[in-house]
Amino acid sequence: MANFIQNQPWKRNSVSRRVQILLAIVVPLPLVSLVALLSGLDPTMTFITLFLPLQLFAAGLVGYLSYGKRGFGDAALLFITTFLSLFVLILLMSVLWSVVTEGFKALSPQFIYQNNKYVDQTTSLEFGGVGHAILGTLLLILMTTLAAVPLGFAMAIYLTQSQSKARNLVRTFTQAISGLPSVVSGLFILAIIEATGIGRSGLTGALALFPLMLPTVARVAEESLKLVPVDLRYAALALGSPNYRAFFRVILPAAKTGLLTAVLLGLARIVGETAPLLLTLNPSSATNLNPFDGGMMALPTYVYNYLASYYDTSQARAWGASLVLLILVAILFGTARIIGRQKSLKSKGKK
Amino acid sequence: MGSKTPVPDTAQRRKLAAGPLSSGDKWFFRSTSIAAYFSFLLVALILIFLFSQAFPILQSQGIDFVLGQEWLPEKDPMVLQLAPMLWGSLVIAFIGVLIATPMSISLAYLIQFMLPTKLAKVATTLVDLLAALPSVILGLWGLIVFTPVAAGWGEILNRFLGFIPIFAVEDTENAFRSSPWIAGWIVAVMIVPIITSVTREIFSQIDKDLINGALALGGSKLSTFRRVIFPTSSSGVIGGVLLGLGRALGETVAIFYVLNLVMKINWYSLLESKGGAVASWILARFGEASPAEKQGLMAAGLVLFVITLVVNFLANVIVKRAQPWGKNS
Repeated sequence: MANFIQNQPWKRNSVSRRVQILLAIVVPLPLVSLVALLSGLDPTMTFITLFLPLQLFAAGLVGYLSYGKRGFGDAALLFITTFLSLFVLILLMSVLWSVVTEGFKALSPQFIYQNNKYVDQTTSLEFGGVGHAILGTLLLILMTTLAAVPLGFAMAIYLTQSQSKARNLVRTFTQAISGLPSVVSGLFILAIIEATGIGRSGLTGALALFPLMLPTVARVAEESLKLVPVDLRYAALALGSPNYRAFFRVILPAAKTGLLTAVLLGLARIVGETAPLLLTLNPSSATNLNPFDGGMMALPTYVYNYLASYYDTSQARAWGASLVLLILVAILFGTARIIGRQKSLKSKGKK
Repeated sequence: MGSKTPVPDTAQRRKLAAGPLSSGDKWFFRSTSIAAYFSFLLVALILIFLFSQAFPILQSQGIDFVLGQEWLPEKDPMVLQLAPMLWGSLVIAFIGVLIATPMSISLAYLIQFMLPTKLAKVATTLVDLLAALPSVILGLWGLIVFTPVAAGWGEILNRFLGFIPIFAVEDTENAFRSSPWIAGWIVAVMIVPIITSVTREIFSQIDKDLINGALALGGSKLSTFRRVIFPTSSSGVIGGVLLGLGRALGETVAIFYVLNLVMKINWYSLLESKGGAVASWILARFGEASPAEKQGLMAAGLVLFVITLVVNFLANVIVKRAQPWGKNS
C-alpha cells in the first residue's frame, strides 16, 4: 500500500500523452525563432507577442486533451508559475554570473593581497588590489561581532529561558530594529559623532553595523534555542540544578550549532553593508589596522568608490572586489548551511 | 443560617516561590534581562539622537519639510523640503512590490509544490543566499548589465502603451535610463528572495491533508490553488510583501546608482529619467553637506525610520496572525 502511494500511479501518463507534453514543450521555440529570423522582428517583441501566447496555447491544448476544461486551467497555472519563476531565476542568476565572469578578469594573487596606496583610477590592473579592504572588512565585522553576539545571545536566552511578561515587547522591539534601514543606522552613529565630537574611525564604522547585526543574531539564536526540547531543561531543573547551570551544561551544548549559525547569518547580513560605512568611516587606500584612528576601507565601500568611475580599469576593480565580497558572503552562508544540515541529520538519526 | 460556623484550622496561604533562588540564577536572569531591555534602549537612542539633531530643521521647516519641493541649502534662510524624494521612494517601492509579488509567489509555488525534493532544496538555498546579496553588488549589476536591458523594455512599453500616462515620455532621446522604472526593477530583484522565503515558509505550513482532500474531491490544481492554498496563506503572503516593502523603502546604494535624483516631484512618469528616493538622497547629499544641511539629512533619516517602523510593525503583526496551522501555535 505504501509502495502504491509512493509510486503515485494515478500521476503516470500514457505514452501518447508524454509525446504530447514533449511536443508542447519543444515545438514553440524553434517555430517562433524561425518566424523571427524570416521576418527580422525585434527578438524581445517576438518573444512577448508570439512565443508566450503560442507556448500558453500549446500547454493549454495538451491540458485540454488530457483532462478537458479543467485541464486548461491547470496548464495555465503550470505555464505561468514556470515562466515567472524561470524569469526571476534568470535575473538572479544573471547577477551571480556577471559578478563571477567580470570579477575573474580582475582577479589575480596580487589583487587579493596588495593595497591601493599608489593606485589611481587609470592604473593598470597589475598593480594594487583589495588587500586593505579585505583586512578592513574582517576587522570591522570582527568588532561588530564582539559586541553584537554576546548581546544577541543574551536576548535570545532571555526570550527562551525566562518567564518574564515583557518578552513579547522585547520581541517586537527587536523586530523593529531589524527593519531599520541601513542608511539610518549610519545616520544614528553620525548623530552620536556630531553630538559627542568623537572622530570617525573603524570603531564608528563597526558601531554603525551593530544595530543591523544584533536583531539577526538574536532572532536566529532564539529559534535555535527553541528547538532544544523543553523536557531536557525541566529534567535538569528537577534534578536541582540552578537555571544558569541548566543552560550552560544542558541547553548550550544541544544548541551549539544553531548558535553558530546565528553568528554566521548575522555576519552575512552585515558584510555587504555599504551605506552605514560611507557615512561613518573615512575611506583609505592604505592598509590601516588601527580601529581607533584614521580611515579604513571595506570591500563594499571599495566597490562603491570605484564603481562611480567611467574608466575601464576602475570598473574592473569594482567587479573584482564584488567577486571577493560575494565569495566571502558565500563562504559565511555555505558554512552556516553545512552546520545547519549536520544538525538536522543528527536529530533525524536520534529519532 | 445566621450563626457562624467555626473555621477549620487550615494552613496559611503562602506565596509560591517561583523566582530564582540561587544567587547565580539571579545574576543569570538579571544580566540577560539587561541585554533584553537594551533593545528598548537602542530604539530610544536612535530616535533621541536623530531627533535631537533633526529638531532645528524640523522646527524651522515645519510641515513643509515633507510636503514641499525645494532643497536649497545655500539660500538664506535655508529651505529643505523632501516631498519629491518621499514620493519617489513610495513609487519605486510600489513598482518593486508589484513586480516582485507575482514572481515570488510563483517561485514559492514552484519550489514547494512542483519541484522534486532535491531540486527544491537547491532552489531554496539559492534563494536564501540571494537574500544576503550585498546591495552594492546589485547596484553594480544594475548600472552596467541591467540598465540597458530594462531601458529596452521601457522603450517597448512606451512604443506600444505610450498612450497610458504612466508610460508616456516627453522626449524619447533622454528618457528610459536612470528612471523609476529601472530602480523599481532593481528593488524587485532585491526583495524577491525575501518575499519568496516568507511565502514558501507559509506554503510549507499548510496542512497537506487539506490540499490532498481538495484534489481528491475532484479539484484541479488551479482551483486548489485558488480556493485552498491562496486563501489560507494570503495574509502571510501580505506580511511577507510588507517586509519586502520595508526593505525597498530603505534601499540606498543600489538605487543611488540606477536613478537620476531630481528635486521635483515626478508623480507618475515611470519612464522619465527623474525620480527620488529618500535613502539615496541622504547618500547623494552627504558628501558636500554643510553642518546645517546634515541636520536636514538626519531629519530625512528620521522620517524614513518612522515610515519603515510602521510598515514593519504591520508586517510582523500580519505574519504572526497568519499561521493557522503554524508550528508555533
